[in-house]
This record gives sequence, C-alpha cells and structure tokens, in this order.
Amino acid sequence: MDPLLETFKTYLQNKVAITDEQFALISDRLKIKTFEKNEMILMKGDTSANGYFVLSGLMRSYSIDSKGKTHIIQFAPEQWWLSERNGMLFNEASDLFIDAIEPTKALLVHKDFMNESAKHVPCMHDLNHNMLNNFIRFMQKRINMLLSATAEERYLNFITLYPSLTLRVPQWMIASYLGITPESLSRVRKDLAHKHFRI
Amino acid sequence: MSPFFLLDYNSKINFSARNEPRGVGVHPHRGFETVTIAYQGAVSHHDSAGNSGIIYPGDVQWMTAASGILHKEYHEQEFSLTGGDFQMVQLWVNLPAKDKMSRPKYQDIKNAEMARYNLPDGGGVIQIIAGEYKGIKGSASTFSPLHLYNARLNKGAKTTLSFPENFNTGFVIIEGGVLINGEEVALTDQFVHFNNDGDEIQVEALESSVILVLSGEPINEPIAQYGPFLMNSQEEIQIAISDFNQGKFGYLED
Repeated sequence: MDPLLETFKTYLQNKVAITDEQFALISDRLKIKTFEKNEMILMKGDTSANGYFVLSGLMRSYSIDSKGKTHIIQFAPEQWWLSERNGMLFNEASDLFIDAIEPTKALLVHKDFMNESAKHVPCMHDLNHNMLNNFIRFMQKRINMLLSATAEERYLNFITLYPSLTLRVPQWMIASYLGITPESLSRVRKDLAHKHFRI
Repeated sequence: MSPFFLLDYNSKINFSARNEPRGVGVHPHRGFETVTIAYQGAVSHHDSAGNSGIIYPGDVQWMTAASGILHKEYHEQEFSLTGGDFQMVQLWVNLPAKDKMSRPKYQDIKNAEMARYNLPDGGGVIQIIAGEYKGIKGSASTFSPLHLYNARLNKGAKTTLSFPENFNTGFVIIEGGVLINGEEVALTDQFVHFNNDGDEIQVEALESSVILVLSGEPINEPIAQYGPFLMNSQEEIQIAISDFNQGKFGYLED
C-alpha cells in the first residue's frame, strides 16, 4: 500500500474501529492526486463532485470579492478535509476557489464515498456523522470569532487550530483568514512579543 | 555529518543591479547556530534582539540562535544597487542538548582579524575560523569540538590536515581544483565527504584554490527538525512552534 494511503488508514483507525480488511474494501475508491505549488484545483463557478483529504502539503479555499480582495475561508494542512459543498453536494456552481499553497498530495474523495463505504463498513456511518457535527462546530466557532472576537483573540485561536501555519504561509494569508488587515496582525504579534520576549 | 546539520551553498552567481534587495524575510531559529561565510557579495542582517550588521567577502558571522531569535538576511544595499558576483555558505551547526536553550549570541569574525597560518614557500594561507590548525586557534568559540577553516592555496601548494578519526570531515571546493590524498581530484562547487578511517588528509592545489574545511566531533543525540527548529524531540519542536507563535522569539518588522 502507498505509505500515504497508510496515513489515511491510521487517521481512520484513530477515529473508528475499522480493521485492515475493512479498509482494503473501501480504499479502492480513493485516488491520490498530486498538485503543484499554486496549482488551481477548483475555480469559482465550476462544479465538482469531489472533496479532498490532505495527505501532505497545504490547500486552501477562498473567495475573491468585487474589489478583487481575497478572503481565505479555510486552510487544509495534513489530515484536514477540504471541500466546496455547494458543488459537491448540491450540484451548483462553486462560490469558492481551491488551490494548493504548497506541493500537495491529497485523496480525492467522491461525495458518495462515505455512504457507499458505510454499506460495507458500518462504522463509516458514525464517522461521517461525527465529522459533520465537528465541521458544523468549526463553522459555528469561526462565525462567532469573525463577528465578535478581537484581532488578538482571533490570532490566539488560529495558532491553536493551525500551529505550524505561521511558518508556512505569508502574513497576508493569515490576516485574510482572520478577517483583519496585515497591519493589524503585525500589531498583534508585536504586542505578544512585547509581553513574552525575554533575552 | 554531525555536528554540521546543513550546508546551504550559494554557488557563484551574478546578480543584476536592483533597487529592492533580494533576501530572506523574517524567520525564527532555535536549537543550533548559523554560520555564514561570505566569499563574494555582501549580506545585511537584522534580528529581534536589535542586532544588525553587514557580512562582507572573507567575513564570517557566527550566530548562536540557541533559545531563539527572529532574523532576516538581505543583500546589502550597496551590493544590491550595483549587482555583481555573489557566493556564500551558510552552515547549520547543531548544539548539544544542554546548550540548545542557552542565550542567543553573535561572533563576528572579520577577514582582516581572522587567525591565519601562512604555509611555507608561499603556498598560501589557512584561515582558522574555529578550532585550531598547527597550534593556531580560531577566535570563534564553539559548544562542541570542531574545526572550520578557509584554506586559500596557491597552485602547487601541498599541505596536510589532521583531524581525529572519529570527527566527521568534509570539504567544499569554493574555487579551483585540488588533489586529495594523491588519488582524487575535487573541483569548484564539489563537496568531499571523508570516511572515518584515518586522521590525515593530504591536499595538493592543482590551481589556485579556496577550500572550506569542516571537521567536528559528532553529537550523538537524537534529532528532531521542523523547518527552522532543530531540537532533540517532537515535544520540543511543538514547544518551539508554540513559543514562536506566542511571540517568545520577539518581533521584527519585515
């Protein structure tokens, strides 16, 4: 088995009681896709029936507003899922773009994968259910942060959620995700350094 | 090749003149030392502890990042404006576990002040950056035993280098061509990695040559690396990332 597929098996086995034999039954449906740095994966307006599970590298989903400004909706480093649900589940035109920030390998996961897998491996149904709830919780927190948190609170939440990204993406992308200006992000980091830097 | 963890070699390249200097933006380091050895061109640096300076050809900057610092490195303004040849080496020298969280510090070793040994018969000069050669000590202090030289040899010069057998030893041929142990020829931009099976190396310059000589006692401790952090365990890496995110490395404007 591809060692990268092995990481997906480990990911599943940490969440549900799926045996190696059961995994073999469902893994045939998965394809590993390779994306280059900056490769566009989904364009706004397109429709795709697939989502992604990132095995290595980093993807993001984002929108571009009428003034040409980018708003990052989600980052997906290793072990994160990323999909555009408008197209994937409702067969409508995508609101978002998806691209690869780093050279990336991701599993291409068809919208029917979870349901089809659950027919052979019942625990996949529970996994799907838990993941959906988790995703809704994630979005709920994200909306709350964007509406009510200070720039510093948003940043502190971000570094807990995505610890390594401060080393992997430019400042402006983090600011874009947080819904603050790059200057405001600089100020937050400067204030934190002022509190915590001792030499 | 412990204690040397990484060798970043910028082979000679001609940069066009430019107003906006090229370089590497703000980034952290923890757990090791960066040693920048300039051969051609000039680099400016700034860090989050307020230090800054310029590294000119022949100079060496020995930065002990240790517990952590943010810095940035750019082509020096004047060099950027005129352009020209650029050739540098940056080494990552690992630190023993007990020193990884020591205080950051700098040692600037200027070309003119560097310890040197003049080879007999006008054979050239061995500049000793750290360690020692024939009893002459380099000024850089190190946390584990190692030797670092720039050997600038004239054509036909012969010399012998001696290092303990257990030290890991390598050459970067910065310029020229040399015959090693009477057997193998190494040319510009090549790296020579020696086996740990003897304590003497004979070098003969086939033309006027510059060799960066590295030799050090291996640090036999576990290694965990993520990006700019070089620690002993994954837990320490997670702490380094978290400390960086929380501003414990300070702040530096891009």
